[in-house]
Amino acid sequence: MHEMALMESLVDVLAREADRHNIARIKKVKLTVGALTHALPDALQFAFTVLREQPLFAPEAELEIEERETRGRCGSCGVEFAVEGNFGFLCPDCGGFAIEIIQGRELQIDYFEGD
Amino acid sequence: MQIKLGQNLLGANAAVAGEIRRLMEEKGLLLLNLMSSPGAGKTTLLEKTLAAVKERLRVAVIEGDVATTKDAERIARLGIPVVQINTHGACHLDAAMVRDVLPAFDLDNLDLLIVENVGNLVCPAEFDLGEAMKVVVLSTTEGNDKVPKYPLMFREAGALLLNKIDLLPFTDFRLDELAADLGQIHPGLPRFDLSARTGEGMDRWIDWLSNQAEERRRR
Repeated sequence: MHEMALMESLVDVLAREADRHNIARIKKVKLTVGALTHALPDALQFAFTVLREQPLFAPEAELEIEERETRGRCGSCGVEFAVEGNFGFLCPDCGGFAIEIIQGRELQIDYFEGD
Repeated sequence: MQIKLGQNLLGANAAVAGEIRRLMEEKGLLLLNLMSSPGAGKTTLLEKTLAAVKERLRVAVIEGDVATTKDAERIARLGIPVVQINTHGACHLDAAMVRDVLPAFDLDNLDLLIVENVGNLVCPAEFDLGEAMKVVVLSTTEGNDKVPKYPLMFREAGALLLNKIDLLPFTDFRLDELAADLGQIHPGLPRFDLSARTGEGMDRWIDWLSNQAEERRRR
């Protein structure tokens, strides 16, 4: 469900951008998806197969997803680290807990292709 | 032709949420986004909270639900302004839905506006509603695993309410495990252990909430 809602937002953005750039048919979309978003690539792909039935997309349009792990930066010592299992928001070096999320919340449209 | 975008998928939602946040700040109004799994006891907790805070604060509610108006009817019985949003199947509210119902309220004469989100720990965490604070309700009957399984929700929350503590003796829920998990994911998160049904622990939460709203009004 979550993924379908996200993909509907994708269609909104793409419809506007395609219009702006005079693109009639979108053939490819590239997304970056962070692990902390709970957006599952398989479910996003499935939602995309439903949505690409719309005239905005070419029938064979493809979705490429780049996954990003969750990473944090310690507010005390500045070290950057992978947040294991999306869960350990504690600095592995100094034990600090003022952790800033620097990666993993992405839901970004990098580019799209079409003509 | 390739068009580079590099823009957030939820950019449109974020823009609307930003508008709502600015409006709330201008009005000195605390917008609270209340979230939990289905069945954690959000609506009962909300009823009990409202009955207590309405003595101190001018409060209104936005009820999010997939299809019914049952929750809104319960709130309306307390004499509190309430608007129901039906998402028609969607598992969360988005900022535009909230913006569209705001004209139904007299925002100049409110201190606290509570949004009861759709019961779900995944999607609501992702959609910013322009709230000043997210409050997550966890209940002892759900088990300890909700915190590690849905880290974003607990990471983003400004307060955690552990509901149904009257049922602790009948469950295998462990308070020490909860504390350890929160220490990993969100150290320092304000936590209130309570039972909306018996009223145990409610005073501390209601005082804290009222103070948050009063602080905002004074700003």
